[in-house]
Amino acid sequence: MRLTRRTFFGASASLMALGLGPVSAQARRGGELVIVTGENPRHLNPAVQSGVATAVPGTQIFASPLRVDENWDLHPYLAQSWEWADDGLSLTLNLVPGVKFHDGQPVTSEDVAFSIMTIKANHPFQTMFGPVDTVETPDENTAIIRLSQTHPALLLALTGALCPIIPKHVYGDGQDIPSHPANTAPIGCGPFKLGEYVAGQQITLVRNDDFFLEGRPYLDGITIRIVPDAASVTLSLESGEADVGMVTDATAINRLNNTDGLTVTPRGFEGIGPIQWVAFNTRVAPLDDVRVRQAIAYTMDRGFILNALMRGVAASQKSPIIESSPFYNPDMPSYDIDLDRANALLDEAGHPRDADGKRFSMTMETIPGRDAALGNVPEYLRSQLREVGIDLELRASPDFPTWAGRLASGDFQMSMDIVFNWGDPVIGVHRTYLSTNIRPVIWSNTQGYANPEVDRLLNEAGHELDTDRRRDLYFQFQDIVGNDLPVYWLNALPYHHVFDDRIDLPLSIWGLMQAMDEVYWTEDR
Amino acid sequence: MTDTPAPRIEAVSPLREAWQQFLRNKPAVAGLVLLVAIVAFVLYGRYFVDADPYRIVWAPLSAPGANEAVPLGTDFLGRDMLVLLLKGGAPTIAVGLSAALLTVIIGISVGALAGYFGGWIDDLLMRFTEFFQVLPALLFAMVLVTLFAPSLVTISFAIGIVSWPATARLTRAEFLRIRELEYVTAARSIGAGNQRIIWKVILPNALPPLIVSAALTVGVAILFEAGLSFLGLGDPNTISWGLMIGQNRSFLLEAWWPVAIPGMAIFLTVFAVSLVGDGLNDAFNPKLRSR
Amino acid sequence: MGLSSYILRRLFYGLILMLGVVVLNFFLIHAAPGDAAEVIAGEMGGTTEEMMAQIRAHYGLDQPLLWQLWLYLKQVAVLDLGTSYHFNRPVTELIAQRIWPTVLLAMSAQLVAMLIGVVMGVLASRKPQGAFSGFVSVFSTVGYAAPVFWTGLMLVILFAATIPIFPVEGMVSARFRGSGLAYALNVAHHLVLPATTLGILFLAQYARLSRTAMIEVLGADYIRTARAKGLGEGKVTFRHALRNAVLPILTVAGLQFGNLISGALLVETVFNWPGMGRLAFDSVLRRDYPTLLGVLFCASAVVVIANLVTDLSYRFADPRIRTGGR
Repeated sequence: MRLTRRTFFGASASLMALGLGPVSAQARRGGELVIVTGENPRHLNPAVQSGVATAVPGTQIFASPLRVDENWDLHPYLAQSWEWADDGLSLTLNLVPGVKFHDGQPVTSEDVAFSIMTIKANHPFQTMFGPVDTVETPDENTAIIRLSQTHPALLLALTGALCPIIPKHVYGDGQDIPSHPANTAPIGCGPFKLGEYVAGQQITLVRNDDFFLEGRPYLDGITIRIVPDAASVTLSLESGEADVGMVTDATAINRLNNTDGLTVTPRGFEGIGPIQWVAFNTRVAPLDDVRVRQAIAYTMDRGFILNALMRGVAASQKSPIIESSPFYNPDMPSYDIDLDRANALLDEAGHPRDADGKRFSMTMETIPGRDAALGNVPEYLRSQLREVGIDLELRASPDFPTWAGRLASGDFQMSMDIVFNWGDPVIGVHRTYLSTNIRPVIWSNTQGYANPEVDRLLNEAGHELDTDRRRDLYFQFQDIVGNDLPVYWLNALPYHHVFDDRIDLPLSIWGLMQAMDEVYWTEDR
Repeated sequence: MTDTPAPRIEAVSPLREAWQQFLRNKPAVAGLVLLVAIVAFVLYGRYFVDADPYRIVWAPLSAPGANEAVPLGTDFLGRDMLVLLLKGGAPTIAVGLSAALLTVIIGISVGALAGYFGGWIDDLLMRFTEFFQVLPALLFAMVLVTLFAPSLVTISFAIGIVSWPATARLTRAEFLRIRELEYVTAARSIGAGNQRIIWKVILPNALPPLIVSAALTVGVAILFEAGLSFLGLGDPNTISWGLMIGQNRSFLLEAWWPVAIPGMAIFLTVFAVSLVGDGLNDAFNPKLRSR
Repeated sequence: MGLSSYILRRLFYGLILMLGVVVLNFFLIHAAPGDAAEVIAGEMGGTTEEMMAQIRAHYGLDQPLLWQLWLYLKQVAVLDLGTSYHFNRPVTELIAQRIWPTVLLAMSAQLVAMLIGVVMGVLASRKPQGAFSGFVSVFSTVGYAAPVFWTGLMLVILFAATIPIFPVEGMVSARFRGSGLAYALNVAHHLVLPATTLGILFLAQYARLSRTAMIEVLGADYIRTARAKGLGEGKVTFRHALRNAVLPILTVAGLQFGNLISGALLVETVFNWPGMGRLAFDSVLRRDYPTLLGVLFCASAVVVIANLVTDLSYRFADPRIRTGGR
């Protein structure tokens, strides 16, 4: 039997707000959870490291000021309440008093200030706390965040893995924080403490008996097993060697869907917004011509990609903003497959077929390793482009740094890529399209796309507090890039939760990248 | 200077005898037949099935035998497995042959010099050989491929560079044995130079075990290429059997055939090569023959 | 030359070899385009140029290459293999966690292959032209000719997916908390498929080798004498002949270590075995130089030591072999 997730979450959240949080009547204490993941973390400190791999264990060990539920509603966590100033330029957080880190030291507003400034200085998502000027600490339990300009994404940036509160007395010792030794032996104030960390293999988490929410967490411990191969992940979930997984492999999802005793759902990932796209280097011929980019888009059958390559489990994605977001513009052009149109556009762009029916040849970067989806689309695209007279050669990067280096330095024509929205467009969308973000680093505007109108719209939307006006700005932005196609969006990566039916797992927008203090076994396994 | 006839005679007659011995070895003959069949399939198959291997012809991952149009089924994109298998054969075998050739060239050169001259040259070359032997071959090949980007040429080179030491040792051992034999002394006494003795006198007599070793190296190289492709370090622009396995691997739990069929092709090829190699080994080895 | 000075000389050569391995690989890896700062930046989820510069400075990547090599060699001399760029942990620690799983896998596979291979080879040698002998050479070739990862994948389909009787990944169940015998059994259960996969690969070599060696030994004078004395065929085979055929088998077993590590790399990848091969593969893809160099260093050390041990046991088993003379 399962609770409806929303009523449970709502109830527990309001109890939390009172700082009481007694054990829910239905929730059972005890038991351990085995999570299987293909993601291999470098370390466990999300303050200086983005990505799912670090965020899953990181959110168990560290707590954040706020948390967010499946409906994007914010709830108190370390901050029992929060208030905006009328001008929208400062936010006051009132912390739960008496909270302790795993080493027994108290959590104070100093730690919150230290954490936010550390993240601002070291996290790759510079837009999250970019507008933060200072964090004032009038007393132990009050932190006031002062902004240089209005920042609609701030509250979301205070949730989950985006804002772990790290102890100043550990990380403030002057050592470089991205390579701090405590990153692999972290001290936080979250529901679980680190038991053992075997790099690249297994992370064992044990219950934090002094967790500040009374009676939580329900579980005695969590073991995160790192298994890079999708087939092995599938079989270990199927055989019950693991209880919970965050799976993106299409074959795996279909197989697990047909396995008794497992719940498989694509829900609960709305915040991640993982978009798979074909990136065009808009600075080099022939891709500097928008008609060529559009022609390539017309050769691809999104339906085939969704049904054949993604085996029917991935959602379509026609826009830079994930389709489940309120800012998504449903009128985006979809470039449904149309080879005649593609041929016409190529002719028009001045690339006639030669005697052999060939127009030109191009290269596409592929990324090594085992991410199947990234390798399959280029293979498909090669077949499709042959139909319109374009020879596609794949250029395999032997390793990740080579690929990243080529994209960062603009030494490419086309490439597959997967980029996350991370909740708010300010965090994960702007970086790809702002001409001011053309920088020699990966996951910036590596396409070299520059459109002054887009810059203006995004900058405005970045501090617009009125949601309707903000949506309007993003709609205009999508109209423009939908025509310009600096990248061609294909689909959302099919993140799925897979878990044993006997587990009650409240979902959020962050997948498993949220504290699992409310997860429990409804019966013994 | 005239040629010394004696070694030639010595070298030829055992070859004929070995061939007759080979024909009596049933597994070896079966291997040879299989090998000829595979090579014929790869070279001439296009006269029966000719199509663009990149073309998507049917629903993805349809099973072999489910439809007449695609007798071996389709891969993850819906491309014809039979056509892919056909086009993938030549590059696979070519990698095997060129890597084996490189192995033999380096191995024989190093081994012959070490075995013939002995002394400090031998010492130096054998240290050099050992150096390559202590490196884990596949790992070192991976590093090389990573360095020069995966293509069939770099892959062949990498395989050749990691596999020659065994051939070098074998050559050296043969040279050590043969250089003391009477006909070599005879050749030397009539004034034959080192060059001539190495290449014209000793080498032909050392050839039998080297031929066996070269044959087996072809098999090893094919397996190596498959291993690199499986790890994602294959040449993405040339269809090979290893690449087919690597590309379809993530669909393994849903469809076994796009992985099993090219794997079977690799297996049969290496199997045939090994049977022939074993047969040659037995045929050339007089001790085994006498019983 | 005495035994101890012989060992010393071999150890010295071994050290030179390993120094060569380190230097060669150091240059090879550094010759490739891109550097570790790109990996770290990529894995952090993107970064700024300033952070890249910081990372390079932190790991000394902005220093001249020869200077970096010198610093590295100084470290290695005291068995400090540096810090992994990826995990930010000492490489020695990462290797220490993984070396035993690899050794366990390699040894089990070696043992399986040797036992079955030798028995098959010996039985085949008794009638070299017989049907069983033919079967042995064909059967052993089967194992050798199949790509090892492919054998592994097929075993996964058979015994972990279709008939799920063996675990599919790892060395110990994630849930398992016991110790002692229960632990050993859990590991053994996980070991079956990978060890079989790897063992099949080497079975052929042992079967073939022991067959050849036995045929040669059985033709020797002393065996004829033993037969002439009227000893039973079983006794002749197993007591007299096998003892002498053991030497070449032992040699090959020792020389096999390099190949074993290569095979283990693939098998560990298929079965997610937490060993060094897996670590090496991941390090290649991440360009984690310190870890990759460390693994290459340790793998070469293992091979050098294995060769030395083989050599010594060879001398021990057959005192006729003299040092110095080649």
